[in-house]
Amino acid sequence: MYETIGLWVAAILTLAVFSFLYKENPLYRFAEHVVVGSSLGYTIVITYQRVLYPRLVEPVFLHGESLVLIVPAMLGLLYVTRFFPRIAWLSRYPMAFLLGMGMGMAFPYDMQAYILRQIQATLIPLYTPGAPWYNTLGAVVIVLGTLAGLIYFFFSKPHKGPFFGFGSKVGIWIIMIGFGATFGFTVMGRISLLIGRVQFLLSDWLGLLH
Amino acid sequence: MINWEKFLNIDRRWLYLLIAVVVIVPFFIRMGLPVVPSDEVRSIYNLVDSLGPDNAIFIGWDFDPGTEAENQPMGVAVLRHALDRHVPVFITAVSPLGQGLAEQGAASVFDTRIPGNFVYVPWAEWEPFRAAGYVGRDSLESAWKAAGNSLPEGARGWVFEGVDFALLGYLPYFGLVVLGMGTSIATQYPTDAYGNNLREMPMLRAHKNLREIDLAVTLAGSTACMYWVVYGTSRVGLPVAFGVTAVMATDYYPYIQSGQIVGMMGGLRGAAEYEVLEHEGGHTETTGKAYRGMDVQSLAHILIILFVILGNIAYFAGGFHKKTALKSGR
Repeated sequence: MYETIGLWVAAILTLAVFSFLYKENPLYRFAEHVVVGSSLGYTIVITYQRVLYPRLVEPVFLHGESLVLIVPAMLGLLYVTRFFPRIAWLSRYPMAFLLGMGMGMAFPYDMQAYILRQIQATLIPLYTPGAPWYNTLGAVVIVLGTLAGLIYFFFSKPHKGPFFGFGSKVGIWIIMIGFGATFGFTVMGRISLLIGRVQFLLSDWLGLLH
Repeated sequence: MINWEKFLNIDRRWLYLLIAVVVIVPFFIRMGLPVVPSDEVRSIYNLVDSLGPDNAIFIGWDFDPGTEAENQPMGVAVLRHALDRHVPVFITAVSPLGQGLAEQGAASVFDTRIPGNFVYVPWAEWEPFRAAGYVGRDSLESAWKAAGNSLPEGARGWVFEGVDFALLGYLPYFGLVVLGMGTSIATQYPTDAYGNNLREMPMLRAHKNLREIDLAVTLAGSTACMYWVVYGTSRVGLPVAFGVTAVMATDYYPYIQSGQIVGMMGGLRGAAEYEVLEHEGGHTETTGKAYRGMDVQSLAHILIILFVILGNIAYFAGGFHKKTALKSGR
């Protein structure tokens, strides 16, 4: 029973969102607001159930244990002062705490994952004896492509001459090929999302596909 | 004489209509275009396939409903494969909505109305067997069968909560959660999403932290997948595989080349490739939703390529490359 009602609600909201393709209309706006509202409501409930209740309400207020948790709870409550202009400055404290902690925590690991390991992966031999030709070609493209891309973004010298001129031209080609690949994947992704909804409508809702 | 300007200013709703036709019709006229698994998907499959009951994996349902069409089939495929190999699976979520989607994904694998699915045995249901000391998978299953339980027709096996499967669910600041799980999973998740004590679960006793985990597959529609690499791989050497949306795929290919991730499923096609491998490996009787969408995907791409070619012909044939802009645009 509830499953059927859920299916119908989901199908009607899907069609309401698709109606935007014809033109902007109140049905679409209604569906959009429902999505935002229900997502937020669901988020609040799950956050309370999974985080606030077991990690704050239950130990501190029901069992009287771990009273130290009141400190981060108070710090978190300071966010609410954003709504009161006279004391809004207090909300900077939890923000500062989070930024500081996030920065300190992320910096060493981010450096390693995003930068050092990526640089390391570019420092490869162009030719390895015994390796198939396409590996060599791949290595050449990686090394020269990275260098050419970096030359394109080097703005302290005019992009002229055999090194900076030619290098930046190769660089822009490499970047454009990258954009082209991303655009192709983007088209694939958007069509996939449409396929997902059409599958839902034809299969789950109308039962036309088996 | 063709009016190229009119052609380029065609009402875009006609294009939407054509796309709709191309996306709907192939569902009824199956062509069965081949889906050839790529190396980056095959490497994830091979790793999961090499694992068994003594290993464990994480599947991160790190996406929201906006990318469900792409990410959900990946999660279902990997979960189904792992359960068929009796590999214990921990499920986490970066967002509250991800937890709901994880529950939906798991429910689709445990729906015994559909042949080829698994029978889910909740934690509370096998409590008497636990009390009697049956916590090893084989001994538990034998005792469960001896107690008169039988598999429904078409079901592939039982999944015991706490032995084969645990839904840990959502926690905020997930980077910190992954970092903490490097030392102890139970300190981050004292209970699962249903309030069951995680420390009592046999799968947690055998795998206390991320160092004892063999793979984390993160399914993401955002950069959330990088939490596992930054705080899992970098810190404790956790092998990580990505299941990302097609839009993100090009951003993460360099991480395969650098060896930071084991493999990657990119978009619906990645999920379809995994389904094909699973089917070929005898883990499923049929391929799933993603594979079914591949005919449609191919035809839609042909249509879009056609649009791009026609648009370019009209642009150059009409001499618009010499003008600054079209007179009107929709």
